[in-house]
Order: sequence, then C-alpha cells, then structure tokens
Amino acid sequence: MNARRTIVVTGGTRGLGLAIATTLAAEGFRAVAVARRPSEAFEAAAAAAGPEAMHFVACDLGETEALQPLVRTIRAEHGPIYGLVNNAAIGTPGLLATMPEREVADLVRLNTLAPILLTKYAVRGMMAAGAGRVVNVSSIIAFTGYNALSVYAATKASMIGFTRSLSREVGRLGVTVNAVAPGFVETAMTEGMDELDRSRIAKRSALQRLPEPQDVADAVAYLVSDKARNVTGTVLTVDAGSTA
Amino acid sequence: MSLRPTLIAEIESITRDNDKRMPPLTDDLVLLDTEFDSLCFALLVARMEDQTGIDPFSDLEVADLPVTLGDLVALYERAARPVAA
Repeated sequence: MNARRTIVVTGGTRGLGLAIATTLAAEGFRAVAVARRPSEAFEAAAAAAGPEAMHFVACDLGETEALQPLVRTIRAEHGPIYGLVNNAAIGTPGLLATMPEREVADLVRLNTLAPILLTKYAVRGMMAAGAGRVVNVSSIIAFTGYNALSVYAATKASMIGFTRSLSREVGRLGVTVNAVAPGFVETAMTEGMDELDRSRIAKRSALQRLPEPQDVADAVAYLVSDKARNVTGTVLTVDAGSTA
Repeated sequence: MSLRPTLIAEIESITRDNDKRMPPLTDDLVLLDTEFDSLCFALLVARMEDQTGIDPFSDLEVADLPVTLGDLVALYERAARPVAA
C-alpha cells in the first residue's frame, strides 16, 4: 500500500471534510485528516477504510504558528504531501453591525489566514516534487448574497481569489489549484438554519433539492485525480443548481 | 557544516531543470540580475527546507530579501545556528 499518495484534509473528521477524507481513501489515497480532535464517525470510517487509508493528526488550525511544524510532522509520518484540501472553516453567522470584533477576527483567521499559511508550507513539497493538488473549499456565498453571512462570505470569496492567483504561480511546476463552491449542504454547519430556509433554498434550486456532502466529496476527488490534470485556477460549483 | 555547497548544488540543479543560464556563482553575484526568477527562488527555499529542515524566511525576521548570493548563504547559515537560550 506504499503507493497511496498522501492528501491532507483539514476539518476531515466531520461533516463535509469527513465525506471528502472517506472518498479520497476509497479512491486510493492516504487521507490525513487534520482537526482539533478525532470523532467517532471518523474512527468508524477509518476502521472501515482499512489500514493505511485514513489517519488523524491533531492540530488547532487557528494557531497559525503550529502550521509549519504540522506540515513537517505529516511529511515525517505519512511521506510527501501530494494534495491539500483546505476544508476546515467556521460559519459563524451574525449581522456585521453587531458582530463582536473577536468573532470577525476568528472567522478571518480560521477561514482565510490558516488555509493560506498551510498551503504556503504544503505547496513547497509539491513544487519540489513537480506535482501536486490544492483544493480550496469555498462556498456559493462567495458570489451570492445571504443575510448575516457577510464575514463568512468575505472569507469564502478570498479562497477564490487565492485559488486563481496561486494556480498561476505554481502551474509551471505541475501543481494544480482549484476551488469547489458547495451550496447549502446538510451538515452540522447548516444545522442552525431553520427548516423553512432549507426548503426555500431547495425549492429555488434547478434540481429542487440540496446537494449532499458526497456530491462535494466527489467533486474534490475529481479535482485531485489524474483526470483533472488540465484543470486549474477554476471553481467547481456543487449546489444542485441553486445559483443557476 | 557549511550550507554553501548544498545551496550551490540546488541553485545549479534548479537552473538546469528550468533551462536558465547563470553566470559563475560567486558571493557578489546579484541574484535579481540573473535569470533565477521568483519561482526558481521559491523552489530553492522549498528544496532547502526539504533537505535541511531550515527555512530562514519563516524562522527569522527577514527584513530585506538577500541581494547577493553571499547574503543568501549568510542568511541560511544564520538560521542554521542553534538559538541561544
């Protein structure tokens, strides 16, 4: 099983991240989930995936000085990093006018600063190897408005700008950088939305439903696969036609 | 052990891999005046971290980017020195 290429999935122990890590493991990668703590769901998925397929590394991504040592640890324990999926994020809602400054800063640090710095350190190995994949999880909120999500929207839009320009920087070295923009997906992050909101969004979608975590995971799996070798600097929207 | 030979070897290897032409690698060579562009430079930092675990651009407060090859060697050697308690 030494042939498994390592892909790091931040926030890979629950929700969307867990679906991504599980799918990548099933596609033959060694998925390394980074989060503050493991979850029962992750442990169960890892046990089902078999040896070498799914691993957990503990890290609070908001502690940005821990990111370079994190990359070094993963490389030492799991070999060269072929891919990075920047999935971890918080979705704190709030009206900007009344949102505490600290919450604004936390959103920007975890959703924008941490993935940028983690990519900085992880992409170096990909550059040196002449191959690699970076996938940034953005959101349709990056390009469509939603009340009380302006700061979250700003951080998700930042991932798209980051994706496009970084793809130009590292493309010559065989590294691709793409984003996925999920619509509202049924995860713990959207639990706060009431049923009425959810059904309204579903009704407005071209396909009359909400996408599932697996749909987003499949999009990520495509982008990290060899089939996507000529796809870079783009955003793949997975929203069941919500923004169509 | 000096990091100079490792740095020189990596610069030569990156130059070769990227079809660049470089003048003789002397200490007073101004890197910006050569074909060793920013991407080559990023690659050099990546490979040096790979090989030596040293990344002066993250480990030290680097106010000015090194101008000459000699500056670059000095920067790496400073980062490699054990930190005094």
